[in-house]
Amino acid sequence: MSRGTTDVLMSKNGKRLLVAFFALFIAFLYLPTILLLIFSFNASTVIAFPISSLTTDFYEAAWQDDEIRKSLIASLEVAAGTAVVATLLAVIVSYALARRSVRFKSAVSALILLPLVVPTVVLGVSLLVLFRPNDPVIPVPLGLWAVLIGHVVIALPFCVLLLLPRIASIDKRLEEAAYDLGASGVTTFRRIILPLITPALIASLLVAFVISIDEVVIASFVVQDQATYPVYLYSGLRLGGRTSLLMPVATVMIVFSFVVILAAELIRRYGERRVGLAER
Amino acid sequence: MATEATAAAPAVPGEGGRRSRRVQDALATYGLTAPALALLLVFFLFPIYYIVRYSLGLEHFAVTEAAAEITGEFTQLTTQLWSEFLTVGVDVQILGKDNVSFHLPTWAIGIIFVALVVGAVAGRRLSERWGGWIQGGSIVLLLVPFMTIPAGNNLLRFAELSSGGDFLRLFFRSVTMATTSAIWAVIIAFPIAYFLAFGIKKSKYTWLLIVIAPFLTSYLLRIFAWKIILGDQGLINSALFELGLRDPDNPLSFLIYSQFTVILVLLYAWVPFIVLPIFIALESIDRRLLEAATDLGASRLKALAKVTLPIAAPGIIAAFLFVFIPSIGEYITPSLVGGNNGYMFGQAIASQFVGGALDWQTGSVLSVFLLGVVLFLTLATSKFLRQGGGATS
Repeated sequence: MSRGTTDVLMSKNGKRLLVAFFALFIAFLYLPTILLLIFSFNASTVIAFPISSLTTDFYEAAWQDDEIRKSLIASLEVAAGTAVVATLLAVIVSYALARRSVRFKSAVSALILLPLVVPTVVLGVSLLVLFRPNDPVIPVPLGLWAVLIGHVVIALPFCVLLLLPRIASIDKRLEEAAYDLGASGVTTFRRIILPLITPALIASLLVAFVISIDEVVIASFVVQDQATYPVYLYSGLRLGGRTSLLMPVATVMIVFSFVVILAAELIRRYGERRVGLAER
Repeated sequence: MATEATAAAPAVPGEGGRRSRRVQDALATYGLTAPALALLLVFFLFPIYYIVRYSLGLEHFAVTEAAAEITGEFTQLTTQLWSEFLTVGVDVQILGKDNVSFHLPTWAIGIIFVALVVGAVAGRRLSERWGGWIQGGSIVLLLVPFMTIPAGNNLLRFAELSSGGDFLRLFFRSVTMATTSAIWAVIIAFPIAYFLAFGIKKSKYTWLLIVIAPFLTSYLLRIFAWKIILGDQGLINSALFELGLRDPDNPLSFLIYSQFTVILVLLYAWVPFIVLPIFIALESIDRRLLEAATDLGASRLKALAKVTLPIAAPGIIAAFLFVFIPSIGEYITPSLVGGNNGYMFGQAIASQFVGGALDWQTGSVLSVFLLGVVLFLTLATSKFLRQGGGATS
């Protein structure tokens, strides 16, 4: 009996079948996006093959469009804010959870993770209730600040999930050595911990940014007159029309997010090599 | 700031110094957790507390009490909104040659549901001998009524839960659609994960990333892409017009704005993500177990059924839940591709707050109900979610 491992797991034909299924699956995953990309260059507004001629006119028109540009800027602002605030809060609370004897530690971490499971519709309407324009419970005006707050709440658990394990994995003796050599808490954090968690920190910023820039449910409940880009796109898709203008922006954003994913993966690999984990 | 280790070290002289150090330490710890906790308290727990208040008539949309009476809102503690929502009861229909249907009160459905979830999660602990049967039976009873085969305009299924109450009926429709897309997502994701774990030798993590990458791109844009394909003027329909298979005035309309589309798009959105927990569960299997099984004469299929699937089961269940739980409250997908036929519970909630209906008290009842169902499911299945979630983080 000298059958190899693969032999036990799948037969020759079984493997062929799986390869075919896998190929179909990849096509299923990527085809819609690729079609979006192709039709963003379509000169005609009718979406059909064969495409008679290609143009970048719609890219230019989208770039010139005031509403699109304003909503994109609003989204970038909110996403940048979310990334910074959520990561900052996450670093601080992760450090406390990893290094200090926090009372009710499991309750605190459960609370931080809770927004992960609460339906975003419920989060959205409850924030709307909190900021209600007539007699607000908390006097934050509806608008981009309100969106930012909602996004920080939903991004925080992801940031903590990225940062907490990394901080907990740092050898305690490194910090103790720093203290013994007379470094203050702040210095130790800046000189010892910060450099070691840089990859996780970047990942956390990226993830929070991506979550915010794509978030539409909460934003749609608490935006006022200036929509974020997802809210603008959402209402555009709902009402129809303007499809030709929306496709170029959609294409740019998808390409952009693939670049970000690639960058994040490269940083992750780099980080793993640095802490000495074998590259897989 | 000092760690516990240095605080306890003999270098600190005297009892007093140590105590002040400890106080300082405690203060620093509270200082470090306070910002995040304050944020969650004010902007997460507090708003949820408020929708609970609305659902009980303790708050109203109108500014003054007099105005609230005119708009017909409640102005004091009441459970009437809840009973209006829940007392209508549930119609259970078993579909087949002869449709059998019976009516149950909502609480009975609730008890059956909770019992089945408990059976599915903890069945094995209930009885040594029948545990496996209880567990399997509960899972089958939970899934089979909702297991739908989308066949164009028609959705084929074994049973249907419905209700005379509009909102309750919508809720069951959402559960059906969420279950269907979750089951199909798992059915598709399993062979993919199996292939990635066992079929690829070189750079399997790169392939894994290729599979997962679409999940990390904009959700809205992926729905957009499907609208281009499935829309009335979309790719499929215009190809059909071109080929003369369909009249331009009469496009295949179930392709967009139907339950089928919502299920397809939800499945498409989640399937890349849930390959991950299944892949990790499969990777953790000790291959010698499989070799032992085949050496002892088991066929590959039998080894799959008796060794691989049971070991991977927690990952598979986690994968199911990762799709199912967020899909019950879906709002964006059905409002973009659902139409009337695919209208879901999440949309009903939204329309009570910002849409035409505008009844914050009823909307809050629906929100709190959805929140309760989701929290119950999450807590009951946290064992699996943690396993799957730990694997994915």
